[in-house]
Amino acid sequence: MDTLPAASAERPRTAASLGALYRLLLRTQVTVPRLLGIVALGALSVLLGVFARWDDDPVQAAAEAVTSYGLGFVVPLAALWLGTAAIGDLVEDRLLVYLWLKPVPRWQLPAAAVLATITVVAPLTALPLAASALAAGAGELAVAVLLAASLAVCAYAGLFVAAGLWLRRAAWWGLAFVLLWENAAAYASEGTARFTLTSWARSIVATAPWVDVPLGGRSVVAALFVLPAVAVAGGLAATVRYRRADVD
Amino acid sequence: MAEGVSRWFGTLVAVSDVSFDIGPGVTALLGPNGAGKSTMLRMLCGLARPSRGTIRVLGRDPRSDVGVTRSIGLVPQQGSVFEPLTAREFVRLTAALHALRDPDAAATAALETVGLDPSDTRRLPAYSKGMRQRVKVAQGIVHDPVVLLLDEPLTGLDPRQRADMIALFRRLGAEGRCVLVSSHVLDEVERLGSRILVMSQGRLAAAGDFRELRALMDDRPLRVRVRTDRPRELAGALLEAGTVVSARLDGDEGLELDTNDAKGLARALAPVARDRDASLLEVVPLDADLEGVFRYLVQR
Repeated sequence: MDTLPAASAERPRTAASLGALYRLLLRTQVTVPRLLGIVALGALSVLLGVFARWDDDPVQAAAEAVTSYGLGFVVPLAALWLGTAAIGDLVEDRLLVYLWLKPVPRWQLPAAAVLATITVVAPLTALPLAASALAAGAGELAVAVLLAASLAVCAYAGLFVAAGLWLRRAAWWGLAFVLLWENAAAYASEGTARFTLTSWARSIVATAPWVDVPLGGRSVVAALFVLPAVAVAGGLAATVRYRRADVD
Repeated sequence: MAEGVSRWFGTLVAVSDVSFDIGPGVTALLGPNGAGKSTMLRMLCGLARPSRGTIRVLGRDPRSDVGVTRSIGLVPQQGSVFEPLTAREFVRLTAALHALRDPDAAATAALETVGLDPSDTRRLPAYSKGMRQRVKVAQGIVHDPVVLLLDEPLTGLDPRQRADMIALFRRLGAEGRCVLVSSHVLDEVERLGSRILVMSQGRLAAAGDFRELRALMDDRPLRVRVRTDRPRELAGALLEAGTVVSARLDGDEGLELDTNDAKGLARALAPVARDRDASLLEVVPLDADLEGVFRYLVQR
Protein backbone atom coordinates (compact mmCIF):
# COMPACT_ATOMS: atom_id res chain seq x y z
CA MET A 1 0.00 0.00 0.00
CA ASP A 2 1.39 3.35 -0.99
CA THR A 3 1.18 6.60 0.85
CA LEU A 4 -1.50 8.92 -0.44
CA PRO A 5 -0.34 11.90 -2.42
CA ALA A 6 -1.01 15.23 -0.82
CA ALA A 7 -4.31 16.45 -2.20
CA SER A 8 -5.20 20.03 -2.80
CA ALA A 9 -8.66 20.95 -1.61
CA GLU A 10 -10.63 24.13 -1.75
CA ARG A 11 -14.30 24.97 -1.37
CA PRO A 12 -16.12 23.21 -4.21
CA ARG A 13 -17.52 25.47 -6.89
CA THR A 14 -21.31 25.48 -6.74
CA ALA A 15 -21.76 24.16 -10.26
CA ALA A 16 -19.31 21.32 -9.74
CA SER A 17 -20.69 20.06 -6.44
CA LEU A 18 -24.32 20.62 -7.44
CA GLY A 19 -23.63 18.80 -10.69
CA ALA A 20 -22.00 15.88 -8.89
CA LEU A 21 -24.94 15.54 -6.50
CA TYR A 22 -27.45 15.91 -9.33
CA ARG A 23 -25.82 13.17 -11.40
CA LEU A 24 -25.60 10.89 -8.38
CA LEU A 25 -29.28 11.36 -7.52
CA LEU A 26 -30.32 10.77 -11.12
CA ARG A 27 -28.48 7.46 -11.07
CA THR A 28 -29.85 6.36 -7.72
CA GLN A 29 -33.42 7.53 -8.43
CA VAL A 30 -33.89 6.19 -11.91
CA THR A 31 -34.61 2.49 -11.79
CA VAL A 32 -36.27 0.40 -14.47
CA PRO A 33 -39.46 -0.27 -12.41
CA ARG A 34 -39.87 3.43 -11.69
CA LEU A 35 -39.34 4.39 -15.31
CA LEU A 36 -41.74 1.73 -16.56
CA GLY A 37 -44.36 2.79 -14.02
CA ILE A 38 -44.22 6.45 -15.00
CA VAL A 39 -44.13 5.65 -18.72
CA ALA A 40 -47.20 3.44 -18.27
CA LEU A 41 -49.05 6.29 -16.52
CA GLY A 42 -48.14 8.61 -19.39
CA ALA A 43 -49.07 6.09 -22.07
CA LEU A 44 -52.49 5.69 -20.51
CA SER A 45 -53.06 9.44 -20.79
CA VAL A 46 -52.23 9.29 -24.51
CA LEU A 47 -54.77 6.48 -24.86
CA LEU A 48 -57.39 8.62 -23.15
CA GLY A 49 -56.63 11.36 -25.67
CA VAL A 50 -57.21 8.92 -28.53
CA PHE A 51 -60.58 7.94 -27.05
CA ALA A 52 -61.50 11.62 -26.56
CA ARG A 53 -61.22 12.12 -30.34
CA TRP A 54 -64.54 10.28 -30.77
CA ASP A 55 -66.36 12.39 -28.21
CA ASP A 56 -68.98 14.89 -29.34
CA ASP A 57 -66.76 17.68 -28.04
CA PRO A 58 -63.22 16.29 -28.33
CA VAL A 59 -61.52 19.46 -27.10
CA GLN A 60 -63.58 19.54 -23.91
CA ALA A 61 -63.17 15.78 -23.45
CA ALA A 62 -59.42 16.09 -23.89
CA ALA A 63 -59.27 18.98 -21.42
CA GLU A 64 -61.14 16.93 -18.83
CA ALA A 65 -58.97 13.86 -19.39
CA VAL A 66 -55.76 15.84 -19.22
CA THR A 67 -56.73 17.75 -16.09
CA SER A 68 -58.62 15.09 -14.13
CA TYR A 69 -56.37 12.14 -14.95
CA GLY A 70 -53.17 13.86 -16.01
CA LEU A 71 -52.86 16.75 -13.58
CA GLY A 72 -54.91 14.96 -10.92
CA PHE A 73 -53.01 11.70 -10.86
CA VAL A 74 -50.19 11.20 -13.38
CA VAL A 75 -48.14 14.26 -12.47
CA PRO A 76 -48.46 14.09 -8.67
CA LEU A 77 -48.03 10.33 -8.48
CA ALA A 78 -44.93 10.33 -10.68
CA ALA A 79 -43.44 13.22 -8.72
CA LEU A 80 -44.34 11.46 -5.50
CA TRP A 81 -42.65 8.25 -6.58
CA LEU A 82 -39.35 9.88 -7.43
CA GLY A 83 -39.45 12.93 -5.18
CA THR A 84 -39.88 11.10 -1.89
CA ALA A 85 -37.23 8.58 -2.94
CA ALA A 86 -34.65 11.17 -3.98
CA ILE A 87 -33.30 11.77 -0.49
CA GLY A 88 -35.68 9.47 1.38
CA ASP A 89 -33.95 6.41 -0.08
CA LEU A 90 -30.57 7.77 1.02
CA VAL A 91 -31.92 8.17 4.54
CA GLU A 92 -33.42 4.68 4.60
CA ASP A 93 -30.31 3.08 3.12
CA ARG A 94 -28.10 5.08 5.51
CA LEU A 95 -26.17 6.61 2.62
CA LEU A 96 -26.70 10.23 3.58
CA VAL A 97 -23.57 10.07 5.72
CA TYR A 98 -21.43 10.02 2.56
CA LEU A 99 -22.91 13.32 1.38
CA TRP A 100 -23.47 15.19 4.63
CA LEU A 101 -19.84 15.14 5.70
CA LYS A 102 -18.62 17.17 2.76
CA PRO A 103 -17.69 20.86 2.49
CA VAL A 104 -20.74 21.54 0.37
CA PRO A 105 -23.47 24.07 1.30
CA ARG A 106 -26.45 22.24 2.77
CA TRP A 107 -28.95 23.64 0.25
CA GLN A 108 -27.28 21.82 -2.61
CA LEU A 109 -28.48 18.29 -1.90
CA PRO A 110 -32.20 19.23 -1.68
CA ALA A 111 -31.78 21.42 -4.76
CA ALA A 112 -30.13 18.57 -6.65
CA ALA A 113 -32.93 16.24 -5.56
CA VAL A 114 -35.63 18.62 -6.80
CA LEU A 115 -33.80 19.16 -10.09
CA ALA A 116 -33.24 15.44 -10.62
CA THR A 117 -36.89 14.71 -9.93
CA ILE A 118 -38.01 17.39 -12.38
CA THR A 119 -35.54 16.14 -14.99
CA VAL A 120 -37.05 12.68 -14.98
CA VAL A 121 -40.71 13.37 -14.25
CA ALA A 122 -41.35 16.44 -16.40
CA PRO A 123 -40.61 14.90 -19.81
CA LEU A 124 -42.22 11.58 -18.87
CA THR A 125 -45.49 13.22 -17.82
CA ALA A 126 -45.81 16.62 -19.51
CA LEU A 127 -44.99 15.33 -22.99
CA PRO A 128 -47.51 12.45 -22.89
CA LEU A 129 -50.18 14.82 -21.58
CA ALA A 130 -49.50 17.24 -24.42
CA ALA A 131 -49.51 14.27 -26.79
CA SER A 132 -52.87 13.28 -25.33
CA ALA A 133 -54.30 16.66 -26.29
CA LEU A 134 -52.83 16.32 -29.77
CA ALA A 135 -54.20 12.79 -30.10
CA ALA A 136 -57.65 14.12 -29.26
CA GLY A 137 -57.35 16.69 -32.00
CA ALA A 138 -57.16 19.50 -29.43
CA GLY A 139 -53.86 20.98 -30.48
CA GLU A 140 -54.82 24.33 -28.98
CA LEU A 141 -54.57 22.72 -25.54
CA ALA A 142 -51.10 21.27 -26.00
CA VAL A 143 -48.96 24.27 -25.06
CA ALA A 144 -51.05 25.11 -22.00
CA VAL A 145 -50.98 21.47 -20.89
CA LEU A 146 -47.24 21.30 -21.39
CA LEU A 147 -46.70 24.41 -19.29
CA ALA A 148 -49.20 23.42 -16.60
CA ALA A 149 -47.80 19.92 -16.23
CA SER A 150 -44.20 21.14 -16.16
CA LEU A 151 -44.89 23.72 -13.47
CA ALA A 152 -46.97 21.21 -11.50
CA VAL A 153 -44.06 18.77 -11.63
CA CYS A 154 -41.80 21.46 -10.18
CA ALA A 155 -44.20 22.16 -7.32
CA TYR A 156 -44.83 18.52 -6.49
CA ALA A 157 -41.11 17.74 -6.76
CA GLY A 158 -40.27 20.39 -4.16
CA LEU A 159 -43.08 19.24 -1.90
CA PHE A 160 -42.26 15.55 -2.07
CA VAL A 161 -38.49 15.94 -1.77
CA ALA A 162 -39.17 17.84 1.46
CA ALA A 163 -41.61 15.14 2.57
CA GLY A 164 -38.93 12.52 1.97
CA LEU A 165 -36.73 14.26 4.54
CA TRP A 166 -39.36 15.30 7.05
CA LEU A 167 -41.59 12.24 7.19
CA ARG A 168 -41.18 8.56 7.74
CA ARG A 169 -43.19 6.57 5.18
CA ALA A 170 -43.32 9.73 3.10
CA ALA A 171 -44.62 7.86 0.05
CA TRP A 172 -47.74 6.76 1.95
CA TRP A 173 -48.35 10.21 3.37
CA GLY A 174 -47.84 11.60 -0.11
CA LEU A 175 -50.29 9.12 -1.59
CA ALA A 176 -52.88 10.13 0.99
CA PHE A 177 -52.19 13.78 0.15
CA VAL A 178 -52.70 13.19 -3.58
CA LEU A 179 -55.85 11.15 -3.20
CA LEU A 180 -57.55 12.88 -0.29
CA TRP A 181 -56.42 16.49 -0.66
CA GLU A 182 -55.56 17.04 -4.28
CA ASN A 183 -58.42 14.90 -5.64
CA ALA A 184 -61.15 14.83 -2.99
CA ALA A 185 -60.86 17.91 -0.82
CA ALA A 186 -60.19 19.99 -3.94
CA TYR A 187 -63.76 19.41 -5.04
CA ALA A 188 -65.24 19.97 -1.58
CA SER A 189 -65.30 23.75 -1.67
CA GLU A 190 -63.78 26.76 -3.31
CA GLY A 191 -61.86 27.40 -0.09
CA THR A 192 -60.07 24.05 -0.08
CA ALA A 193 -59.51 24.13 -3.83
CA ARG A 194 -57.52 27.32 -3.42
CA PHE A 195 -54.95 25.39 -1.40
CA THR A 196 -54.49 22.54 -3.85
CA LEU A 197 -51.68 22.52 -6.38
CA THR A 198 -53.84 20.81 -8.95
CA SER A 199 -56.27 23.75 -9.07
CA TRP A 200 -53.43 26.15 -9.86
CA ALA A 201 -52.11 23.87 -12.59
CA ARG A 202 -55.59 23.42 -14.04
CA SER A 203 -56.02 27.18 -14.18
CA ILE A 204 -53.20 27.33 -16.72
CA VAL A 205 -54.99 24.78 -18.92
CA ALA A 206 -58.17 26.83 -18.54
CA THR A 207 -56.54 29.63 -20.53
CA ALA A 208 -57.07 27.57 -23.67
CA PRO A 209 -60.12 28.74 -25.68
CA TRP A 210 -63.47 26.96 -25.59
CA VAL A 211 -62.77 24.68 -22.68
CA ASP A 212 -64.30 24.53 -19.23
CA VAL A 213 -61.75 23.08 -16.83
CA PRO A 214 -62.98 21.82 -13.45
CA LEU A 215 -61.17 23.62 -10.61
CA GLY A 216 -59.60 25.93 -13.17
CA GLY A 217 -60.89 29.22 -11.80
CA ARG A 218 -57.63 30.63 -10.42
CA SER A 219 -55.70 33.51 -11.91
CA VAL A 220 -53.25 32.20 -14.46
CA VAL A 221 -50.73 34.90 -13.59
CA ALA A 222 -50.88 33.85 -9.96
CA ALA A 223 -50.56 30.22 -11.01
CA LEU A 224 -47.34 31.00 -12.86
CA PHE A 225 -46.01 32.37 -9.59
CA VAL A 226 -47.54 29.95 -7.07
CA LEU A 227 -46.32 26.68 -8.59
CA PRO A 228 -42.62 27.65 -8.82
CA ALA A 229 -42.90 29.25 -5.38
CA VAL A 230 -44.09 25.94 -3.92
CA ALA A 231 -41.10 24.23 -5.55
CA VAL A 232 -38.73 26.71 -3.94
CA ALA A 233 -40.52 26.50 -0.59
CA GLY A 234 -40.24 22.70 -0.70
CA GLY A 235 -36.54 22.96 -1.41
CA LEU A 236 -36.09 25.37 1.50
CA ALA A 237 -38.09 23.15 3.85
CA ALA A 238 -35.91 20.21 2.83
CA THR A 239 -32.78 22.28 3.43
CA VAL A 240 -33.94 23.27 6.91
CA ARG A 241 -34.54 19.63 7.76
CA TYR A 242 -31.26 18.52 6.22
CA ARG A 243 -29.32 21.09 8.23
CA ARG A 244 -30.93 20.11 11.52
CA ALA A 245 -31.32 16.36 11.18
CA ASP A 246 -29.08 13.83 12.81
CA VAL A 247 -27.53 11.70 10.11
CA ASP A 248 -27.38 7.98 10.67
CA MET B 1 -11.87 17.13 21.92
CA ALA B 2 -14.99 16.02 23.76
CA GLU B 3 -15.95 17.71 27.01
CA GLY B 4 -18.81 16.44 29.15
CA VAL B 5 -20.56 15.02 26.12
CA SER B 6 -23.85 13.22 26.58
CA ARG B 7 -26.37 12.06 24.08
CA TRP B 8 -29.75 10.57 24.78
CA PHE B 9 -32.60 9.38 22.61
CA GLY B 10 -35.80 9.77 24.64
CA THR B 11 -35.11 7.83 27.82
CA LEU B 12 -32.18 5.91 26.35
CA VAL B 13 -28.80 7.36 27.30
CA ALA B 14 -26.39 6.42 24.51
CA VAL B 15 -23.43 8.47 25.71
CA SER B 16 -23.05 9.82 29.23
CA ASP B 17 -20.70 12.60 30.27
CA VAL B 18 -17.72 11.59 28.18
CA SER B 19 -14.60 13.75 28.04
CA PHE B 20 -11.33 13.11 26.23
CA ASP B 21 -8.69 14.69 24.04
CA ILE B 22 -7.21 13.00 21.02
CA GLY B 23 -4.03 14.05 19.32
CA PRO B 24 -1.97 12.84 16.38
CA GLY B 25 -1.47 9.11 16.09
CA VAL B 26 -3.80 6.15 16.32
CA THR B 27 -6.38 6.00 19.10
CA ALA B 28 -8.67 3.04 19.50
CA LEU B 29 -12.22 3.40 20.74
CA LEU B 30 -12.90 0.04 22.30
CA GLY B 31 -16.19 -1.22 23.63
CA PRO B 32 -18.79 -3.93 23.27
CA ASN B 33 -21.66 -3.55 20.86
CA GLY B 34 -24.09 -0.96 22.15
CA ALA B 35 -21.45 0.82 24.23
CA GLY B 36 -22.02 4.13 22.45
CA LYS B 37 -18.96 4.09 20.18
CA SER B 38 -20.82 4.79 16.95
CA THR B 39 -22.87 7.56 18.54
CA MET B 40 -19.64 9.08 19.86
CA LEU B 41 -18.04 8.92 16.40
CA ARG B 42 -21.13 10.43 14.80
CA MET B 43 -20.99 13.32 17.24
CA LEU B 44 -17.26 13.77 16.71
CA CYS B 45 -17.77 14.37 13.01
CA GLY B 46 -20.94 16.41 13.43
CA LEU B 47 -23.44 13.89 12.10
CA ALA B 48 -25.28 14.00 15.42
CA ARG B 49 -25.68 16.80 17.91
CA PRO B 50 -24.68 16.18 21.55
CA SER B 51 -27.60 16.55 23.96
CA ARG B 52 -25.10 18.12 26.35
CA GLY B 53 -21.43 19.00 26.25
CA THR B 54 -19.00 20.33 23.68
CA ILE B 55 -17.18 18.77 20.77
CA ARG B 56 -14.41 20.48 18.87
CA VAL B 57 -12.40 19.17 15.93
CA LEU B 58 -9.33 21.25 15.14
CA GLY B 59 -10.88 23.87 17.41
CA ARG B 60 -14.11 24.08 15.41
CA ASP B 61 -17.63 22.78 15.87
CA PRO B 62 -18.08 19.96 13.36
CA ARG B 63 -21.86 20.23 13.60
CA SER B 64 -22.23 23.80 12.47
CA ASP B 65 -18.97 24.48 10.64
CA VAL B 66 -19.27 22.89 7.22
CA GLY B 67 -15.71 23.94 6.41
CA VAL B 68 -14.17 21.64 9.00
CA THR B 69 -15.57 18.62 7.17
CA ARG B 70 -12.77 19.19 4.66
CA SER B 71 -10.37 17.99 7.33
CA ILE B 72 -12.41 14.97 8.43
CA GLY B 73 -12.59 11.55 6.84
CA LEU B 74 -15.19 9.09 8.05
CA VAL B 75 -15.52 5.39 7.39
CA PRO B 76 -19.00 4.60 8.72
CA GLN B 77 -20.01 1.28 10.14
CA GLN B 78 -22.92 0.57 7.84
CA GLY B 79 -22.19 -1.67 4.88
CA SER B 80 -24.44 0.20 2.47
CA VAL B 81 -22.87 1.94 -0.52
CA PHE B 82 -24.23 3.62 -3.65
CA GLU B 83 -25.22 0.56 -5.64
CA PRO B 84 -25.30 2.05 -9.15
CA LEU B 85 -21.67 3.19 -8.82
CA THR B 86 -18.36 1.49 -9.37
CA ALA B 87 -15.69 1.77 -6.68
CA ARG B 88 -13.87 4.38 -8.71
CA GLU B 89 -17.03 6.44 -9.26
CA PHE B 90 -17.85 6.29 -5.56
CA VAL B 91 -14.41 7.43 -4.43
CA ARG B 92 -14.24 9.99 -7.23
CA LEU B 93 -17.57 11.44 -6.07
CA THR B 94 -16.07 12.04 -2.63
CA ALA B 95 -13.00 13.61 -4.22
CA ALA B 96 -15.17 15.86 -6.38
CA LEU B 97 -17.30 16.99 -3.44
CA HIS B 98 -14.08 17.85 -1.62
CA ALA B 99 -13.07 19.91 -4.66
CA LEU B 100 -9.79 18.10 -5.17
CA ARG B 101 -7.82 19.44 -8.09
CA ASP B 102 -7.75 16.08 -9.88
CA PRO B 103 -10.52 13.83 -8.52
CA ASP B 104 -9.65 10.99 -10.90
CA ALA B 105 -6.03 10.83 -9.80
CA ALA B 106 -7.03 11.10 -6.14
CA ALA B 107 -9.57 8.28 -6.51
CA THR B 108 -7.01 6.09 -8.25
CA ALA B 109 -4.42 6.71 -5.52
CA ALA B 110 -6.91 6.03 -2.71
CA LEU B 111 -8.10 2.78 -4.25
CA GLU B 112 -4.54 1.62 -4.82
CA THR B 113 -3.72 2.53 -1.22
CA VAL B 114 -6.34 0.07 0.03
CA GLY B 115 -5.27 -2.57 -2.45
CA LEU B 116 -8.13 -2.31 -4.92
CA ASP B 117 -7.98 -2.11 -8.70
CA PRO B 118 -9.11 1.37 -9.82
CA SER B 119 -9.92 0.05 -13.30
CA ASP B 120 -12.44 -2.49 -12.00
CA THR B 121 -15.69 -1.74 -13.84
CA ARG B 122 -17.93 -3.85 -11.65
CA ARG B 123 -20.58 -2.06 -9.65
CA LEU B 124 -20.25 -2.10 -5.87
CA PRO B 125 -22.91 -4.75 -5.17
CA ALA B 126 -20.67 -7.21 -7.05
CA TYR B 127 -17.88 -6.63 -4.51
CA SER B 128 -17.34 -8.87 -1.49
CA LYS B 129 -17.99 -7.43 1.94
CA GLY B 130 -14.26 -7.03 2.53
CA MET B 131 -13.80 -5.21 -0.78
CA ARG B 132 -16.68 -2.86 -0.04
CA GLN B 133 -15.12 -2.20 3.35
CA ARG B 134 -11.89 -1.19 1.63
CA VAL B 135 -13.79 1.04 -0.79
CA LYS B 136 -15.29 2.79 2.23
CA VAL B 137 -11.82 3.31 3.64
CA ALA B 138 -10.67 4.67 0.25
CA GLN B 139 -13.48 7.25 0.23
CA GLY B 140 -12.53 8.17 3.79
CA ILE B 141 -8.90 8.92 2.94
CA VAL B 142 -9.19 10.21 -0.63
CA HIS B 143 -9.05 13.86 0.43
CA ASP B 144 -6.07 13.30 2.71
CA PRO B 145 -7.87 14.30 5.92
CA VAL B 146 -6.10 15.43 9.07
CA VAL B 147 -8.68 13.62 11.19
CA LEU B 148 -9.76 10.12 10.21
CA LEU B 149 -12.63 8.42 12.06
CA LEU B 150 -13.20 4.75 11.35
CA ASP B 151 -16.17 2.85 12.76
CA GLU B 152 -15.39 -0.87 12.91
CA PRO B 153 -13.29 -0.68 9.71
CA LEU B 154 -11.88 -4.19 9.95
CA THR B 155 -15.23 -5.94 9.83
CA GLY B 156 -15.45 -8.36 6.94
CA LEU B 157 -11.76 -8.33 6.11
CA ASP B 158 -9.70 -11.49 5.92
CA PRO B 159 -6.56 -11.76 8.11
CA ARG B 160 -4.22 -10.52 5.39
CA GLN B 161 -6.44 -7.54 4.60
CA ARG B 162 -6.72 -6.77 8.31
CA ALA B 163 -2.96 -6.75 8.66
CA ASP B 164 -2.63 -4.43 5.64
CA MET B 165 -5.34 -2.12 6.91
CA ILE B 166 -3.88 -1.97 10.41
CA ALA B 167 -0.49 -1.14 8.87
CA LEU B 168 -2.16 1.63 6.87
CA PHE B 169 -3.82 3.11 9.95
CA ARG B 170 -0.54 3.02 11.85
CA ARG B 171 1.25 4.72 8.99
CA LEU B 172 -1.42 7.41 8.69
CA GLY B 173 -1.10 7.97 12.42
CA ALA B 174 2.68 8.07 12.23
CA GLU B 175 2.38 10.75 9.55
CA GLY B 176 0.75 13.01 12.12
CA ARG B 177 -2.90 12.45 11.38
CA CYS B 178 -5.38 11.90 14.16
CA VAL B 179 -6.77 8.42 13.50
CA LEU B 180 -9.60 7.15 15.71
CA VAL B 181 -10.56 3.52 15.14
CA SER B 182 -13.54 2.00 16.89
CA SER B 183 -13.64 -1.72 17.51
CA HIS B 184 -15.23 -4.27 19.79
CA VAL B 185 -12.42 -6.75 19.22
CA LEU B 186 -9.67 -6.58 21.80
CA ASP B 187 -7.16 -8.36 19.59
CA GLU B 188 -7.55 -5.78 16.82
CA VAL B 189 -6.95 -2.96 19.24
CA GLU B 190 -3.85 -4.67 20.60
CA ARG B 191 -2.41 -4.85 17.09
CA LEU B 192 -3.08 -1.17 16.51
CA GLY B 193 -0.63 -0.59 19.35
CA SER B 194 -2.35 2.59 20.22
CA ARG B 195 -3.82 4.68 22.95
CA ILE B 196 -7.14 3.24 23.95
CA LEU B 197 -10.44 4.73 25.06
CA VAL B 198 -12.74 2.12 26.54
CA MET B 199 -16.45 2.81 26.38
CA SER B 200 -19.08 0.81 28.13
CA GLN B 201 -22.75 1.54 28.59
CA GLY B 202 -22.26 5.00 27.17
CA ARG B 203 -19.50 5.95 29.60
CA LEU B 204 -15.78 6.29 29.21
CA ALA B 205 -14.69 3.37 31.37
CA ALA B 206 -10.93 3.68 30.98
CA ALA B 207 -8.25 5.39 28.93
CA GLY B 208 -4.59 4.63 28.48
CA ASP B 209 -2.19 2.66 26.38
CA PHE B 210 -2.72 -1.02 25.81
CA ARG B 211 -0.28 -2.24 28.47
CA GLU B 212 -1.93 -0.17 31.17
CA LEU B 213 -5.32 -1.46 30.18
CA ARG B 214 -4.17 -5.06 29.90
CA ALA B 215 -2.72 -4.90 33.41
CA LEU B 216 -5.98 -3.49 34.66
CA MET B 217 -7.85 -6.39 33.10
CA ASP B 218 -5.40 -8.98 34.43
CA ASP B 219 -5.92 -7.67 37.96
CA ARG B 220 -9.62 -8.26 37.98
CA PRO B 221 -11.07 -11.31 39.79
CA LEU B 222 -12.05 -14.14 37.51
CA ARG B 223 -15.42 -15.71 38.08
CA VAL B 224 -15.81 -19.45 37.47
CA ARG B 225 -18.97 -21.51 37.56
CA VAL B 226 -18.58 -25.06 38.77
CA ARG B 227 -21.19 -27.79 38.77
CA THR B 228 -20.50 -30.55 41.26
CA ASP B 229 -22.40 -33.04 43.42
CA ARG B 230 -20.73 -31.65 46.59
CA PRO B 231 -20.75 -27.85 46.20
CA ARG B 232 -20.61 -27.00 49.92
CA GLU B 233 -17.61 -29.21 50.63
CA LEU B 234 -15.76 -27.99 47.55
CA ALA B 235 -16.44 -24.32 48.33
CA GLY B 236 -15.28 -24.74 51.92
CA ALA B 237 -12.06 -26.46 50.91
CA LEU B 238 -11.17 -23.86 48.25
CA LEU B 239 -11.88 -20.95 50.62
CA GLU B 240 -9.82 -22.63 53.34
CA ALA B 241 -6.92 -23.06 50.94
CA GLY B 242 -7.15 -19.41 49.87
CA THR B 243 -7.53 -20.40 46.22
CA VAL B 244 -10.74 -18.39 45.87
CA VAL B 245 -11.75 -15.11 47.45
CA SER B 246 -15.45 -15.84 47.55
CA ALA B 247 -17.89 -18.63 46.75
CA ARG B 248 -21.63 -18.63 46.17
CA LEU B 249 -23.92 -21.64 46.09
CA ASP B 250 -26.30 -21.74 43.15
CA GLY B 251 -28.93 -24.46 43.54
CA ASP B 252 -28.10 -28.04 44.52
CA GLU B 253 -25.11 -28.48 42.25
CA GLY B 254 -24.07 -24.97 41.25
CA LEU B 255 -21.16 -22.98 42.64
CA GLU B 256 -19.78 -19.61 41.57
CA LEU B 257 -16.19 -18.90 42.57
CA ASP B 258 -14.24 -15.63 42.41
CA THR B 259 -10.48 -15.93 42.26
CA ASN B 260 -7.53 -13.60 41.82
CA ASP B 261 -5.36 -16.52 40.77
CA ALA B 262 -6.92 -18.24 37.80
CA LYS B 263 -3.97 -20.53 37.22
CA GLY B 264 -3.83 -21.52 40.89
CA LEU B 265 -7.51 -22.39 40.83
CA ALA B 266 -7.04 -24.46 37.70
CA ARG B 267 -4.23 -26.41 39.42
CA ALA B 268 -6.06 -26.85 42.72
CA LEU B 269 -9.61 -27.59 41.63
CA ALA B 270 -9.22 -31.22 40.53
CA PRO B 271 -7.06 -32.35 43.53
CA VAL B 272 -9.38 -30.64 46.02
CA ALA B 273 -12.43 -32.24 44.39
CA ARG B 274 -10.72 -35.64 44.50
CA ASP B 275 -9.83 -35.20 48.19
CA ARG B 276 -13.47 -34.32 49.00
CA ASP B 277 -14.78 -37.17 46.83
CA ALA B 278 -16.64 -34.62 44.70
CA SER B 279 -17.36 -35.09 41.02
CA LEU B 280 -16.71 -32.07 38.77
CA LEU B 281 -19.58 -32.05 36.30
CA GLU B 282 -18.80 -28.70 34.66
CA VAL B 283 -16.22 -25.89 34.97
CA VAL B 284 -17.00 -22.69 33.03
CA PRO B 285 -15.07 -19.42 33.31
CA LEU B 286 -17.46 -16.48 33.40
CA ASP B 287 -16.59 -12.86 32.59
CA ALA B 288 -13.79 -14.03 30.34
CA ASP B 289 -15.31 -12.36 27.32
CA LEU B 290 -14.90 -8.72 26.41
CA GLU B 291 -18.31 -7.84 27.79
CA GLY B 292 -17.13 -9.08 31.14
CA VAL B 293 -13.97 -7.03 30.97
CA PHE B 294 -15.95 -3.91 30.24
CA ARG B 295 -18.39 -4.71 33.00
CA TYR B 296 -15.49 -4.95 35.37
CA LEU B 297 -13.98 -1.69 34.18
CA VAL B 298 -17.26 0.11 34.68
CA GLN B 299 -18.01 -1.41 38.07
CA ARG B 300 -14.55 -1.07 39.59
